Amino acid sequence: MTAPITIASLCHDFQDFRALHDIDLEIAAGEYIVLLGPSGCGKTTLLSILGGFIVPTQGAVKIGGRDMTGVAPAKRPTTTMFQDYALFPHMTLRDNVAFGLRMRGMARRERHARAERLLELVGLHGDAGKRPHELSGGQRQRVALARALAVEPDVLLLDEPLGALDLKLRRTMQDELKSLQREFGTTFIHVTHDQEEAMAIADRIVVMNRGRIEDVGPPTRVYQRPASLFAANFMGETNRLPATRGEHGLETPFGHLAPPQALIGDGPFTVCLRPEQIRSGTEGWALGSARVGDSAFFGTHFRCHLHCEDEAATTLIAHLPPEVQPQPGARLALSVDPAQLSVFAAEEVSS
Amino acid sequence: MRRLQWGYLLLAFAFIYLPVASLVLFSFKDGSLPLPPFEGPTLRWYGEVLGDRRLMAALGHSLMVAVGSSLTACVLGFLAAYGLARHVLPGSLWLRGLLIAPMTVSYLIVGLGLLIVFNQLGIGLSLWAAGIGHVVINLPLCFAIIYASMGAQQQNIERAARDLGAGEARVITLVTVPMLAPAILAAFFLAMTLSWDEFVIAFLLTRFEVTLPVEIWSLLRSGLSSKTNAIGSIVFLGSAAIVLLLELFIFGRRRP
Repeated sequence: MTAPITIASLCHDFQDFRALHDIDLEIAAGEYIVLLGPSGCGKTTLLSILGGFIVPTQGAVKIGGRDMTGVAPAKRPTTTMFQDYALFPHMTLRDNVAFGLRMRGMARRERHARAERLLELVGLHGDAGKRPHELSGGQRQRVALARALAVEPDVLLLDEPLGALDLKLRRTMQDELKSLQREFGTTFIHVTHDQEEAMAIADRIVVMNRGRIEDVGPPTRVYQRPASLFAANFMGETNRLPATRGEHGLETPFGHLAPPQALIGDGPFTVCLRPEQIRSGTEGWALGSARVGDSAFFGTHFRCHLHCEDEAATTLIAHLPPEVQPQPGARLALSVDPAQLSVFAAEEVSS
Repeated sequence: MRRLQWGYLLLAFAFIYLPVASLVLFSFKDGSLPLPPFEGPTLRWYGEVLGDRRLMAALGHSLMVAVGSSLTACVLGFLAAYGLARHVLPGSLWLRGLLIAPMTVSYLIVGLGLLIVFNQLGIGLSLWAAGIGHVVINLPLCFAIIYASMGAQQQNIERAARDLGAGEARVITLVTVPMLAPAILAAFFLAMTLSWDEFVIAFLLTRFEVTLPVEIWSLLRSGLSSKTNAIGSIVFLGSAAIVLLLELFIFGRRRP
């Protein structure tokens, strides 16, 4: 089961603090949406509003075309997977997973059969009689997922579901979440502050900051063409160059640049370069020569600090391909493809 | 050094258990005064105690009052804790303080207060009155123990149950109470031992039907007797059994 969601001009205040400003978002049925942002950006508040745990100060939420703004969690076609899993400690895994079906009045034998099928699906075959405290973190996470999916919700809400797991397990669980979502077709809304996790699983990423949506789009677009300076910074490492409006375009420490996009406002501007966009060579927009500071090998690339010989003595971070073999102290000629750059109105950004 | 440590340990336990041990020992003495030298042993006094209808009636009353008042205190304490832990109420800090404060009032004062109130209201002295008195002293304790076990983790678990379609009654009966069972049982048994041993309130608020401690006190007025030792041993056995059960089935199980 699955359903689309419409969020219309949603605002929420906690006393004097405005946690959400005018959120508008359309989510298609069966989409995997990731709400991404730093702590305090309002992503969890938005999830709680979708789950019915918080009634918004203003605005409306529609799920499957029906207005759900003031409807209690139990009466919504949503289930939430909580950050601490919130399993029932006194029940077996079977009873945990079957709880929602029991609340819907399903007979014991039928609901136990269904619970066991779901436990098998998440790889916990034969553990149905155990209790939550006998499981590892990853296994508890799977039980929580099975319990939430057992009632066949239209929308599954996941509150930082992978936060408590170690890195390797997190990668495995990301793949599993994605494939389960494909299998069930349920709309998934997943909250995280980890941009790599967001890129790995999302159909669309919603980048949030200070209660507003900064950018919405598929991972590649949000990474390569972020809609705001905040989104550019949050999605990964960037080099930020100060720029002003000149006679024929932008003036930067590296000289003149024909703006890759139409400029809004009079400036000053910030030009964003991703580390992997910097090449050694002279094609495209030349950045002049630079001395390699330190460089670290990451398997797929070298991450280098490059000290440029421009007027501002800029230091750039670049990911250079292994065949360049950048040795500390070596001199390189640098360039970028201007079409890949993003330009924003300058503002103070804390990264 | 090692000997000193063992010696200290023995002294400490002797200090705690000598009175009880001598009480139990002289309950087996063949002779009417529970004083040295020891003669016997005999089970004569236990036979007399078990054959004494007044004492046996008092034992029954004590059990009734203990179980009834502890159950009531636990139910009320749970409801108060659930309300205060799960809902934002105006002045909840004050409410919590007011609920716990009676713990600091001496039983004598509580008993006197109840005596005055019951007299004013024209409620006669009875086991019911003593039971109400025991609810008054045990409610703060039950509330404090159960409230302390209701953390944010438990609250999230209740939210999950609601999210999966459970109404308020089913959240409490299927999730909250079973989840907090260790704390609730601990509160219940603790309240039971306190009520079982309680003398002052029971003495002030009962008249014709009395609890065991009150009956023992009236026995003592006619002088020391090995019979009182026997009944004292039985009471001690009862309390010790409850504590042991508590340790075995509740506190013991909590450590996995």
